Amino acid sequence: MTNIEDLRQTLFARVSATNEPREILKAAELKQLYTVLPTLNPGERGAYGKAVNELKVALETAIVARENELEDATIEPLDVTAPWDVNSALPALLPTEQGTQHPLTRELENVIDIFTRMGFEAIESRQIDDDEHMFGALNFPANHPARDGYDTFRTEEGFIPPAHTSTMQNRILKAGKAKLEAGGHIAAVSYGRVFRNEDVDATHEHTFYQCEGVYVSETATLGEMLGTLQSFFETYYGQKLKIKTQPGYFPFVEPGLEFAIEKPAALGGKPGDWLEMLGCGMIHPNVLRSADINPEKYRGFAWGGGIERLVMLKYGIEDLRHFESGKLAFLRKFV
Amino acid sequence: MIISVNWLKKFTDIDVSIDELATLIGARLVEIETVIDLGKKYQDVLVAQVVECVELEGSDHLNVTKLDDGGVWQNVERDDNGYVQVVCGAPNVRAGILVAWLPPQSIVPETADDTEPFVLGARQLRGAMSNGMIASARELALFDEHDGILELDTDAAPGTKFADVYELNDYLLDIENKSLTHRPDCFGIIGFAREVAAIQGKPFHTPEWLAQLTPDFGEKQGDIMTPTVTIDDPELSARYQAVVLSGADGAKKTPLYIQTYLARVGVRPINAVVDVTNYLMMLTGQPLHAFDYDKLVKVGGGTADIHVRSGRVGEKLTLLDGRTIELTPEDIVIAAGETAIGLAGAMGGADTEIDESTKNIIIESATFSLYSLRATQMRHGIFSEAITRFTKGQPAELTAPVVADAVRLIAEWAGTTRVSDVADSYPGKRDLPVIELTATQVNATLGTTYSVEQMRETLRNVEFDATASDDTLTVQAPYWRSDIHIAEDVIEEIGRINSYDAITLKLPHRDFTAVRPSDFDELRTAMRKALVRAGASEVLTYSFIHGDVLRKVGQDPADSYRITNSISPDLQYYRQSLTPSLLGLVNANVKNGYDQFALFEMNKVHSKTAELVEDVPAEMHRLGLVLVNKKDQTSAPYYQAKRILDYIAQLLGMELHYKPLGDSNLALSKPFESRRSARVIDVSSGQPLGVIGEYKKSVARGFKLPNYAAGFELLPEAIAIALNHKAPAYTPLSRYPSSERDICFQVAHDVTYQQIIDVTHNVLDTIDISSTVEPVDVYEPADGTTKNITVRLKFTAAERTLTGDEVTDFVARVASEVTAKIDAKIV
Repeated sequence: MTNIEDLRQTLFARVSATNEPREILKAAELKQLYTVLPTLNPGERGAYGKAVNELKVALETAIVARENELEDATIEPLDVTAPWDVNSALPALLPTEQGTQHPLTRELENVIDIFTRMGFEAIESRQIDDDEHMFGALNFPANHPARDGYDTFRTEEGFIPPAHTSTMQNRILKAGKAKLEAGGHIAAVSYGRVFRNEDVDATHEHTFYQCEGVYVSETATLGEMLGTLQSFFETYYGQKLKIKTQPGYFPFVEPGLEFAIEKPAALGGKPGDWLEMLGCGMIHPNVLRSADINPEKYRGFAWGGGIERLVMLKYGIEDLRHFESGKLAFLRKFV
Repeated sequence: MIISVNWLKKFTDIDVSIDELATLIGARLVEIETVIDLGKKYQDVLVAQVVECVELEGSDHLNVTKLDDGGVWQNVERDDNGYVQVVCGAPNVRAGILVAWLPPQSIVPETADDTEPFVLGARQLRGAMSNGMIASARELALFDEHDGILELDTDAAPGTKFADVYELNDYLLDIENKSLTHRPDCFGIIGFAREVAAIQGKPFHTPEWLAQLTPDFGEKQGDIMTPTVTIDDPELSARYQAVVLSGADGAKKTPLYIQTYLARVGVRPINAVVDVTNYLMMLTGQPLHAFDYDKLVKVGGGTADIHVRSGRVGEKLTLLDGRTIELTPEDIVIAAGETAIGLAGAMGGADTEIDESTKNIIIESATFSLYSLRATQMRHGIFSEAITRFTKGQPAELTAPVVADAVRLIAEWAGTTRVSDVADSYPGKRDLPVIELTATQVNATLGTTYSVEQMRETLRNVEFDATASDDTLTVQAPYWRSDIHIAEDVIEEIGRINSYDAITLKLPHRDFTAVRPSDFDELRTAMRKALVRAGASEVLTYSFIHGDVLRKVGQDPADSYRITNSISPDLQYYRQSLTPSLLGLVNANVKNGYDQFALFEMNKVHSKTAELVEDVPAEMHRLGLVLVNKKDQTSAPYYQAKRILDYIAQLLGMELHYKPLGDSNLALSKPFESRRSARVIDVSSGQPLGVIGEYKKSVARGFKLPNYAAGFELLPEAIAIALNHKAPAYTPLSRYPSSERDICFQVAHDVTYQQIIDVTHNVLDTIDISSTVEPVDVYEPADGTTKNITVRLKFTAAERTLTGDEVTDFVARVASEVTAKIDAKIV
């Protein structure tokens, strides 16, 4: 064993001294170690073999480090403060017509813009959160079956990549409480990335975008919620639209509804074609209570829906997977 | 879940068309996935009597039959008696029985949903003409039955339509279970029918037998000891009832009519005992289980001593499906004495299974903790109709009327008698809350104008106990509505049953206050537009990456939050910076023929090295860009990245300084080559904004980057701070001409441009005349020991024209200061 330790030091010294470190792997002393193996008694062989292997692994790491060092030594430093390279001129920008904004961020800006004009503040949703915001504060008791529907990921620490933008609802309510109690109201949308443990195909993604809205006042009604949503979609599509609802179950609203619009003419819709757009409802008293808002005095409504669907319908995009593909062939269609 | 409309009709009138019904249910109860027209399959199937049956000569199993179809079917060859000849190979075919006949030109129901349904004809079979066929249950698409043709238990006349006899002119509603998670009552036909009545505005009356919570179990005959039932922990089971029935005949079947109802909702008929348990489950939502009494007593050591308890560590149980599972303390177990005999609510054990020889049975009617069962379902992979219902939380009151009806029906169809009392352990009895609310409150929440009477009637239609006095409604939900706790739940019922679509739409009345997008959102939009103008393409990439990608750029996976249930190793770690994701896109795009491009992303990154903020990980905004050119260029790519960044800064109104990156341990800087990269700093605030540069050789190799590649990664939050700092920079235009002079410094190779500019600015700051410095040329001769840096000085006085001497003096002051401070020569 001492033998191996001595050799380690010798070989490492050679690695840091040579300009061709990989040659060290061919050293005769290294090969010699293997010829010793059969001469040992069986009880010693295991430990010896392990020590030889460890030496080889450590040596490989040292060689890669030395190779990088040698390679880096050949790197010519730049004057990073200069306006351009020596004997050169100011580089051109890329052609403007190559520049493209992602269709999803473009549509998200559009949606936020309409809600902003309707008097809703916009807040970006978190990409990592805790169980309390994702579920607890939204009236999902521990082990509640409704949690299953969200297919959440978890980190080792128990954090959750949120599966809905409602993960911001408790924060929005808490932040708006003072304004509400001073006689105002809470009106906000939260938007951003959400994550679900789903297999990916043309219509399913583990990563997608949602926009969620929250409105609380002393007099909010379900009728106002439906009016607000209809108004948003009519502005978004620039035409009058019929709406339709059906009962839906979400623990954080009561009553809970699914909301559909008649497919707009611009999208080739005919009367009787419906597009399911989002889930919505009156905020459950327990959710208001979680934010220390008195449900006896205040009522609110909330809704949430996906952004990808709006974009896909608008441009006729056939495959959800294009969005996060980073393919220029896709991106350059959105000049 | 499949709901049969004909089955619903047994409990409520339906006086709208199937389309209207589907629309009504969709708007007021639950979304219907599809409506299946069942009757279409059976339109040509006729009841026929076998009047003659003789063996076909030269065949070992075929019979030639003559069928009487009452002369109904046209276009078929008949004998002198008007009978139709059909050859049949089933062992049970014989003269006298009634059968389902599929005439020539009809479609075999089993194939009706195929792309090419099988159309029957008239054909020769071993020399005998056969017209159509006599059908088995399987060919009728009812259930798998290999014993032969289906024998009909009807007294209908030959020629009657098969569908009319067995009520198969039916529509089936396919409903996703998930949509009714909160409504255990709707997992039974009766509960569903109650809703269908109410949404048509009709009152509903639960059948008398089901409304009896302390039912009459009929006469007890014999004196088998009543089983003892012990629920070890009321958390596991709110109620457990058990009763012993004797004289079961395993060969007995339920009437075919019951079998067809089970079959159409997806349950295979087995024998009378099993069919009754399934039938009542489909009807009421309450699952039942039948144990072999004698086997249970044997396993239990001589007595029927039933326990409901937690599973024990190391305990094993062989299930009905033959699997042996290892129980856990989270499972609920039914035990006989000390021995586990069933996984409660999920599946019975093999040791107490009923079979052909079973004479005495125990019927179990119970409820179990839905939370435990949910976990059991996942752990052991059991997805039966029963556990689907148990995991919705069936009410404990329901077990009694259902077990009473089971006793009655099994007696009727399997010939049993009740030989024990009904054991009943009921530790989970709960009182139903009385809810008070006002009509004003209901209308204020929904935005409706319903009268208090209308509200009361709506609730009474679904059998709520509701009374109205002035504005106040006093409501108690029926026992099967354990989801009704608070006023809001009642408001939902009223709104839903009367349809949300009937509500008048309004916009909230409120003060008109303008809302501005946040400064940060506006900044991000501005940066995005600027980068697009600079020719870059925006991308979105996943927030999770492979550990190898982190390692490739020298970031430590231990610093990343790791997903424990990731879909694949590619999506296992939260990313620490955007650059690795962007670099990962380069090669594929180059291979697809894109020679020159820039990709950028604005998104968030996370690292365990950052402190938690309010108990959750800090979220860091980033702007990353990578630019590449497949063709080698003479100039270093760094300068093109810098050009783009300076352009954006200019559009945002910032001036940037670049300082050599040097050694940096930030995750952000890891991909960048320190000698060809810089830290980016805002001049006016001194705020560090990020890193720009070329990539390490190992990184370029790892991501197969072209030689010409560079990029930057910035901190948008720092940019926002820098911009807050910025003062308006406008100075009025001068009416006088400017004077320009170029000055060329020869310096050593390692002197930077910035050093010269800094000294120049120091001098210009002492002169009370507006001035600017711009680069003109950076020349390095071939030997590379020195370089010539030429800059252009421009002077503009606000109030007068400068003289040539003045300008010469300014330039001389700059020249002398630069040559003094830096080892420079003027050339």
